[in-house]
Formats: sequence, C-alpha cells, structure tokens
Amino acid sequence: MEDKIGIFLCECGPNIAEKVDFDKVKEAIKNLKSVKFIGQHKLLCSDDGKKYIVNAIKEHGLTRLVIAACSPKQHELTFMKVCEEAGLNPYLFQMANIREHCAWIIEDKKEATEKAIQYIKSAYRRVRYHEPLEKKEIEANPDVLVIGGGITGLEVSLALAQSNRKVYIVEKSSELGGKLKEFNKIFTSMRDAKSFVEDKIKLVEQEKQIEVLKESEVEEVLGYFGNFIVKVKTQSKESELKVGAIVVATGYELFDGDSLAHYGYGIDDVYTALEFERMVKTGKILTKKGEPPKSVAIIHCVGRKECGYCSGVCCMYSIKFARYIKEKMKDAEVIEFHRGLTLPDKNYEKFYKDTKALGVNYIYVKDLLIEGNTKPIIKYKTEEGQFEKQVDMVVLAQAMVPPKGIDKLAKTLRIAQDKSGFFIEEHPKLAPISTSKEGVFIAGCAQGPKNIKESIVQAGAVAGRILSSLVPGKKLEPEVRVSQISESLCIGCQTCIKVCNYGAIYFDEAKRVSRVNEVLCRGCGNCVASCPSSAIQLKHFTDREIHEEIVEATR
Amino acid sequence: MNKLISDIRELLKKALDNKVIDALLLPVKVPAGDSYSWVILKDDKLLEKASPIPPVISVQGARAISSLTRRGKLDFKIATFMRPCEARATIELAKLAQADLDDVVLITFDCPGAIELKKYTEKPEEVEKEFSELMGNWESDVIRTICKMCDKFTCVDDGFATDLHIGLIGLNGKMAFIPRTEKGKKFLSGLGLKSEENLNDWEKKSRELIEKKRNKRKELQNKLKPQVVGLDALSKTFAKCINCRICRSVCPICYCRQCYFDSEKLKFTPDDYLIRAEKSGGIKFLPDTLLFHLGRMTHMALSCVSCGTCEDACPMDIKVAQIFSIVGDNVQKLFEYVPGRKLDEPLPLTVYKEEEFKELEV
Repeated sequence: MEDKIGIFLCECGPNIAEKVDFDKVKEAIKNLKSVKFIGQHKLLCSDDGKKYIVNAIKEHGLTRLVIAACSPKQHELTFMKVCEEAGLNPYLFQMANIREHCAWIIEDKKEATEKAIQYIKSAYRRVRYHEPLEKKEIEANPDVLVIGGGITGLEVSLALAQSNRKVYIVEKSSELGGKLKEFNKIFTSMRDAKSFVEDKIKLVEQEKQIEVLKESEVEEVLGYFGNFIVKVKTQSKESELKVGAIVVATGYELFDGDSLAHYGYGIDDVYTALEFERMVKTGKILTKKGEPPKSVAIIHCVGRKECGYCSGVCCMYSIKFARYIKEKMKDAEVIEFHRGLTLPDKNYEKFYKDTKALGVNYIYVKDLLIEGNTKPIIKYKTEEGQFEKQVDMVVLAQAMVPPKGIDKLAKTLRIAQDKSGFFIEEHPKLAPISTSKEGVFIAGCAQGPKNIKESIVQAGAVAGRILSSLVPGKKLEPEVRVSQISESLCIGCQTCIKVCNYGAIYFDEAKRVSRVNEVLCRGCGNCVASCPSSAIQLKHFTDREIHEEIVEATR
Repeated sequence: MNKLISDIRELLKKALDNKVIDALLLPVKVPAGDSYSWVILKDDKLLEKASPIPPVISVQGARAISSLTRRGKLDFKIATFMRPCEARATIELAKLAQADLDDVVLITFDCPGAIELKKYTEKPEEVEKEFSELMGNWESDVIRTICKMCDKFTCVDDGFATDLHIGLIGLNGKMAFIPRTEKGKKFLSGLGLKSEENLNDWEKKSRELIEKKRNKRKELQNKLKPQVVGLDALSKTFAKCINCRICRSVCPICYCRQCYFDSEKLKFTPDDYLIRAEKSGGIKFLPDTLLFHLGRMTHMALSCVSCGTCEDACPMDIKVAQIFSIVGDNVQKLFEYVPGRKLDEPLPLTVYKEEEFKELEV
C-alpha cells in the first residue's frame, strides 16, 4: 500500500509564525514523495488543533505523520495520543522542532525558514522508515521491599503497612532494631533507647502486612519501578520476592580500622563509642582495674579527617556520654576534646549548656594524639600551646561510615555511591530520597550520616512518595522502544550483558547468542552502542532511521 | 634454526607421548610445498612435516583456534605453538568469547619475524633458506616491514602472558622455558622440564632489542604519517583500494558474523546517493571505500596486534597494517590497554570509569 504522509505546521501563536515563512516551507515540501496533505494551524496542541489533526488523518487516510512544532519533550506524548485517537499507530509519527531549534534562536527570518525546512525534511525522511510498535500493559505491583530493619526501615515499613501495603523487610542480622538497640538513651530527651525501638519492633511484628526476613540478604534485583523481581538469600535458602518499589535503609557503621590506633585505641581504657554504650548498659562505668574513673576524656571527630566529612551527630552523642558519666559519678572530671561543636537543632544548644553546667569541661583542640602504656595520655594543641593530660578513661566519638558490604548491594541495585561509599540521592535538594534508578529509594543513613529524627523524617518522606506514585491497580506501560538482537549476527561475546544496566539481557547457552527480556529493557541503547558486531538494534532508533534523518539534516 | 625446530618437535612429541596433551595444533607444510596450514595432529609422521616456526603467516593462528573452539570447550587437551602476535590475537578473541582456551596450552617463542607471503609463494625454497639463517639475527632486513617495527616479539617485562614462552634471544640456540600461567607450569612439569632460572642474558638482550625496534616503529610511523593524517591524505592513500575486503577476511580480530559493510544497512536508495553526489560534486562506485577502512579502524583499533596479515594479503599493496599500527598505538595508549597482554584484562569498551567523563567536561 502506498504511504500517505501528512505534514502539519504549527504556528504556536506568534512563536513560530513570526520567524518562519510558512509559505516558503509549504513550497519546499509540497512535491516530496507520498506527501498527501500539508496542514497549518495556530496551535496544534489546543483542543481545536488536535481535532484538526484527527479529522485530517481520517479524511485523507494518512498513514504517517510529521508534526513541525515545538520540542518533542513538550508535546510528543500529546501528539502520540492524537494519533491513537485517529486510529494511527503513534510510532508512525515524527516531530520536527522548529520552535526551540529554529524560531526562538535565529534572528534572520530567511535563515530560520531554511533551517525549519531542513528539519521538516529530516523528519519526513525518517518517518518513512518508522515501523508501527504495539503498546503493552502490565499490572504494577504495589508491594514494597525494605532493605534494613533499623529504625529507618521500621518506620518506613510501619507507615506503608498502615496504609495497607504489603511490606517485606530484609534484615542482615538476626534481629530488628539496628544500631539504636545498642544505645542506652537518646539525646536530647534522654529517653530510654531500648524501649523506644522495642515499641517500634512490637508494632512491626504485630502488623500482618509486614513480613520480616531476618539473617537475609538481597542477592539479585531485576526489573524496574512497579515490577521488581528480587532474589533474597536467607541463611542458605533462596527465595524470590515480587515488589513494585525498593527502599534502601542500610544504615551505618562507626569509623573503624587501623586509623583508630592513632586515637589511642589499643591502650587500656580507651573505648569506642559502642563499647562505652555497652559498658553503660551493664550499669557500671569502671576502668579495666575495676575502679570508677576519676577522669574521663571524650574525643570528638574521630575519623572526620580520614572520612572527609562531619557526621553531624558525634558532638551530640558525646555530650550525651558526658551526661551518662555525670549521672553516675557527679564528681568525676569529664573533658570533651572537640574541634568546634556542631549544634544545629533548636534544642541542641540548651542540651550542651545544661551539660556544661554540670561541670563538663570543653576544650577546643587543633591537634590531638593519644599515647600511653598503662594509662592513656592525651597530647593536645590549643591556641594557647601544647599540653598533656593523663586520664583514667578515654571514649572515642567516631564518625559514621557506610556499612561493609554496601558496595555489593550498590552493584546489585545498580545505584550510585559517593566517594565515601554512601548512596547518592537523585538531587541533593530537589530529590533527596530517590536515586538514579526509578523505584529505588534511600532513607536514613544509607544516604549519609544522620540523627534519629532526620532518619525518621526521611522514612516518612519515602513512604509518602511510594504511596502516591505506586497506586494499586495502576497499569504500567513497559517501554516498547526496546533492543532487538539478531540471532544470525550475534557472535555471543556477551558484551551487551556486561553493559546492560537493567539486567535485561541473558545468554541463550543452546544457541550461544544473547537475548533481550523485553519487559526489563528500558531502551537506553547501551547494548546497541557497545555491540561489537552490530547485532543489536533499538526499535524506533534503528541505524536506518537515524541514518535517513542525518542524510537530510546534513544535506 | 633446523636444530632448534627439531628440538621443539622432539619436545612436542614427548608431550604427546607423556599424555600431557592429547593433540597438537601446528602449521604443517602443504603438499605443494609453497605454504603452511594449521593442522590438528597427534601422528608422528605429520609432526615431522609440522613447523612450529614457519617462515610465513598464512592463516593467522588466532583464526585457527577460534574456528576450533568458538562453539565451546574442547574435551581434549591441545598445545599450540604460535607467534606472539597470533597468540595475542587469540587472547583478544577469547575475551570476546570467540575462543575457549581452557583446554589449550598456548606456547609462544621469541619471534624473528615473518616473510612476506607473496615473496614466499614465488620462491619457497630460497625463502626457507633465507629464513633458516634468521635465528640469531633479530634485526634482519628480510622480514616484513610490520615485523621490523614489531616491539612485542618477546614477553620480557610482562609483555604478554601466554601459558609458556620459549626464550631464544641471546641464548645461542639454547631454549629458555618461561611458564607464565599455572597451565604452562603444569605442561612443563609434565615433560619433566624446569623453568629457566637464570634469565639475565635473555632479559638484557631482549630489552635492548625492544628499545631498538620501538624506535624503528616510531621512525616508520612518522614517515607514514603525512600519507594518513587527515581525511584528504587518507582518501588518497585508500583511493586505489578495490573493495575486495580481503584485509577484513584475513584479520583475526574481525569477528562479526556479517560485516556491517555487507549488510542491508549500507545499501541505500538511489536518491540517497544522489544527495551525496550533489554535496561533494561526485560519488565513487563502489561507494564507501574510506568509510569501510575507517569503520574497521574504529572496530579494530583497541584489539589490533599488528600481526600484518591484512597488509600481507592486500593485492594493491596498501600499507594497511602499518596504518592500523598508528591508530592502534594511539588508541591503546589512551586506555592504557595492550591487546593480548592478559586474558583477564577486560576490553576497555566494557569498563566504566567515572573519571573518563571528566575528559569530556567543558
């Protein structure tokens, strides 16, 4: 059947009409092969304009369409819908951007007109090689996977479950509650941490919509927003979860490793923050010899230089540590060696001042080293000079760092990490809880150091985002512009599998060729570009289509 | 040379007898006596006709290995003796899953170079004689230009890691066994042989030679540059190409099932050609000659091992391999990549490095 191509010119009010001579355009394109209709309208995206297109398609039996108007980013979808309304496959249409690329940027009307003609001819030449693509619909899965059962993970899960969402929590350790469970009290309320977190755990355990998988790790993630398939390993058993969204709430660890020795770790009575919390939990603060310490030094900023960032919470928990000591031993000497206090919250300043009033000494140091054989000696430099202080006990306030094994999860989820290893948010201000991968969210310390309040706020934000964007019953339209691998051209080198970001390509061992899973493919074109034997084509962006467009554009 | 070759044959026979391997893949002289073919053999009589170091590269060894193992592992063990450039191409193909080396012992040797195919087929006996005098003369004038400018003829200083390398340079006809992988070590111990411990002479002389040849490479490339830098110069150089595509057919790295340039994608409608003719004032038929060579350059630049088979085969005497060596060296340097150096060194195309984006930042 011979093609009947329609070309529609949009004036876009005065936007295009003032700069592009439509008569000249029509003259230039009227003799193009198969062009059966040339239309012009004041505003094609208006209701009247859309009707005009639909009528023209029906009346002239048009089989392919070029619309010369604005950027496809603005109205490509609009016009695709118009095609559908007229019974034309929406992929048999191509847009020519004669507004942003011509009218708006070229002063000279003659020049703008010439460029517009070239663009329209390019689109015309391309559209002749378009093939109709059929849309598919699949059901979106409203269930959610939460990775990490710390306070952030618990909070997200509860918020989602209370809105009747099925939630799976995958927790690496054998119990829920995360780091918070190891604390005694929470600043600034000095409320009991254990009861705080255990209340949450109880709620989670009572919630029928939440399924907890302890001692479990995510092994593989395939799919995309609305349709993830997740392989989870529980001890040695593997199971498969189907969810629509994934929340990464993997938390943090405290700065550790060889560098701690620089801060005196290894000397008797030098403790890490968590060791100290555990000691406090026993109800007694005692030195190795079993005596109550007369003097305790709390060292701030342990690991800050090494990590290259301020964790923002160590100052506050250090002040909390001073409270622990003063509560038990009113007369003990407590010195906090800090490098400038970080107290950004409306309640923090008061918490600090109240603690100081208990007799806690705050010393601003420029440099610090801890030595000693039997007892720790702190050698420090202030603006006044060099000093030394021997104490009975030292507590190190370490920075927060990403947990070990997080790199593997980043690879599995295909989301990016920053230099220190925390996951990168999509945008630091505008999209702080989403990632570069649609449907994968980050909350709490997975994104970077945070206190409990900030983590809970983020948990709520993530839950809200999921509830509003992943609605039960919503249909997903998988991309139809997907990759196609030619069985006869594929050499089986599997380069495409290595570069696919969506796990959408698998290897057919029997035929020794790669194959595309069309539901998972997002049409990014990575595989097309990297295929060494040109065996892959992206539908709607085939070599032929692009070539034909370029031929005319560079004519 | 003859003594050396019979020593190697002896060694390979022992490998068969001791059942260290099940068969050998070696170049064997064709009945007419004017070329060599790769033959898989275990028979003593055939082994007598095999030459582990033939004077020419007829079929590039990598292609032989690839056609043998492309569809999967062998279920028997073989050893093969190859020039370094052939072995390196083999390793490149293995990275692309076009060869499976699990059951193959890849043996290389210090390569004295090869002689032009055309010269050999005209007077095979004379050339054989010339070639047999080569061993010991590492800077001969008889060998192909691409061999004269080859700086990867020996594996000193981690040049390339085949299973077993046999050092010959500076050893007065003696062989130094240098295993580079576990497989190589196993092969050697299966023969009751030990790896050479004192490699000082070999290393020293090899480094000297590499330095000389590297300079030669630069010198010849610089001489060639005016003919190939820029589109005009390239067009002129490739103008005499008759589009026979033989360079592609003999290239060990050209792995595509169907060449893009033979595909429907490059067959255009008449008006397409007319547009092009209109633009440049005329269009040559067959079209796309230069595009073909540029396309091959882009495809091959990272993996090109400068084996010279393309140049050897070109009926129009275009210096294809020398031109490719310039492109290859530059592109490989850019990615700090040496084709065929190691099997587990990934192809740059599959490696994502964030800092590479910075090079593109404005």
